Amino acid sequence: MNWDTTLAKTGEFKPIDLLAVAAAREVTDGDVVFAGTGLPMLAIGLAQRTAAPTAVCIYEAGSVDGRPVSLPTSVGDARCIYQASVASGLFDVFNQLQRGVVDLAFLGGAEVDKYGNVNTTGMGKYGIVPEKRLTGSGGNSDINGLAKKTVFIMVQEKRRFKEQVDFVTSPGWRIPKWPSGEMVPKKEVYNRAFRGGPEAVISNMGVFRFDENGEMYLDTYHPGCTPEQILENCSFDLNISRVRGETKPPSLGELDILYHQIDPEGIFLP
Amino acid sequence: MAKPGKMNLQEAVAQIPDGAMLTFSGFTIWRRPMAAVYELIRQGKKNLHLVEVNGGTHSDLLIGAGCVKIWESCWIGHELFGKIGANLARRAEAGEVIIEDYSHVQILYRMAAGSMGLPYLPTYASMGTDMLNPAYDHLRIAGLRDGSNPKIPKKKYEIVSDPFYGGELLHMPAANPDWCIAHVQMVGEEGTVRVEGQLYSDSEAIKASDNVIIIAEQIVSEEYIRREPSRNLIAGHQVSCIVEQSWGAHPTGCFGCYETDGSFIQNFFKKTRSQEGLDAWVKEWIHDIPNFEAYLEKIGITRLEQLRANPAFGYSTTIKRGTR
Repeated sequence: MNWDTTLAKTGEFKPIDLLAVAAAREVTDGDVVFAGTGLPMLAIGLAQRTAAPTAVCIYEAGSVDGRPVSLPTSVGDARCIYQASVASGLFDVFNQLQRGVVDLAFLGGAEVDKYGNVNTTGMGKYGIVPEKRLTGSGGNSDINGLAKKTVFIMVQEKRRFKEQVDFVTSPGWRIPKWPSGEMVPKKEVYNRAFRGGPEAVISNMGVFRFDENGEMYLDTYHPGCTPEQILENCSFDLNISRVRGETKPPSLGELDILYHQIDPEGIFLP
Repeated sequence: MAKPGKMNLQEAVAQIPDGAMLTFSGFTIWRRPMAAVYELIRQGKKNLHLVEVNGGTHSDLLIGAGCVKIWESCWIGHELFGKIGANLARRAEAGEVIIEDYSHVQILYRMAAGSMGLPYLPTYASMGTDMLNPAYDHLRIAGLRDGSNPKIPKKKYEIVSDPFYGGELLHMPAANPDWCIAHVQMVGEEGTVRVEGQLYSDSEAIKASDNVIIIAEQIVSEEYIRREPSRNLIAGHQVSCIVEQSWGAHPTGCFGCYETDGSFIQNFFKKTRSQEGLDAWVKEWIHDIPNFEAYLEKIGITRLEQLRANPAFGYSTTIKRGTR
């Protein structure tokens, strides 16, 4: 390792730094990673500069394995394809996803339920006249449906960690089987294309994983938070019995890479 | 095979009738045919039916200006410069625009099927989600899946048994828009299209559409563009007409030519979250000026030069982007 692995103390890092670092730790060297705009870009960039130098990054607008020298602000950005192996399009990269090529994906969401179903479509009652419209699915549902593992990065709030999301935009471990609508394990619906599902949810308070039944539990809590505080910011009956302890803080080297190599302009890091 | 006609922007856009089904080039805030969108609004188009692989600043503006009745897609927003498509949200929440939701792959495969001349394509994408919930099949609920409009399939999707390997698959019906408006870097005078950088879903959108308007930063001779055919995306016989309009994607970005104008989009997002704000914006930037040349003069040469791409990278290296 050629970066300083001394762990930063409380006060030496911001919550957003911890999110990026915790997400980067989910990447295994050699992984093919699908990443979206924002924190996922920081996470994959950090992973590639530390423990996963041969990880390949695919952006859904069509860039494959770019080596950007300047941080993209969206997956359609011209910066994504600097030194890329291929600049193609959505049809190519989503076909690769469907083919089973993608090991890990980073996604965001407005709401999540205990099975890892995510909503990015609308809050409140949905229908032909929605109560509150959000952005819609984008690639979230495809990627969560077809990658081997997905990691969600989300804001922790009681109204966002829900027993049932208002609209199932993106499939978790238990999903409705249409047209009947019966809730069944994801494997049953995806049959030949089943590869896995949500691996973790990383919030500004903790890291959550999913048990044998596909139900969310607290894995680690971030420095400065307690499992009880996390329970207060979750509106379903979250299992905290398996908690391992505190989330490992960022190292000084990781912070240096984030601020000086990946986002020196201060696009996502304030 | 007729050579596609060269037109100006006004003439090209005037061909699109009210109620047409329309799609576009680009991805969210990149390579959108903005000059054409301003012209659609200036010409007062009504009841447009947008079918697009994803939305962005162009479609949110068109919807805000009251030109659109139906929006079939999977996402709308302005990336870092505006979290949601606030105009679509407002109009949908008021019952003025019908949204039909898909995932990226579902709507992409609709366009791809259309481009292949097939009635549908199978996929596993986004099964088990509310995009397939019959209660949210809005075109059916609105009575628009009765077969009277040949561009609207009788079903949103079908789940079908795989006859070869077992299991079930989702079949997505083809989309064949009446018109595609695409903004690209270069077109030959006989219509050969060259796209640089990421190709997004341009190929599928252009090939699926019955009529195609290509707006290019530059029209060049066919002799020039045919020197390197492997760099070209579309042959001229799949193009209806060509328009030369440099900076025609502003404020969205165009690889190799110019950067996304983030502060312009951010300002649009902030000012147009109410109908009054949108109306004032449309008056200032569209109705109070005669054409796109006047728009570029209003932006100003200093700003445009900042946005201009450095050829070594394909993007601007001088624009200030972050907080440091």
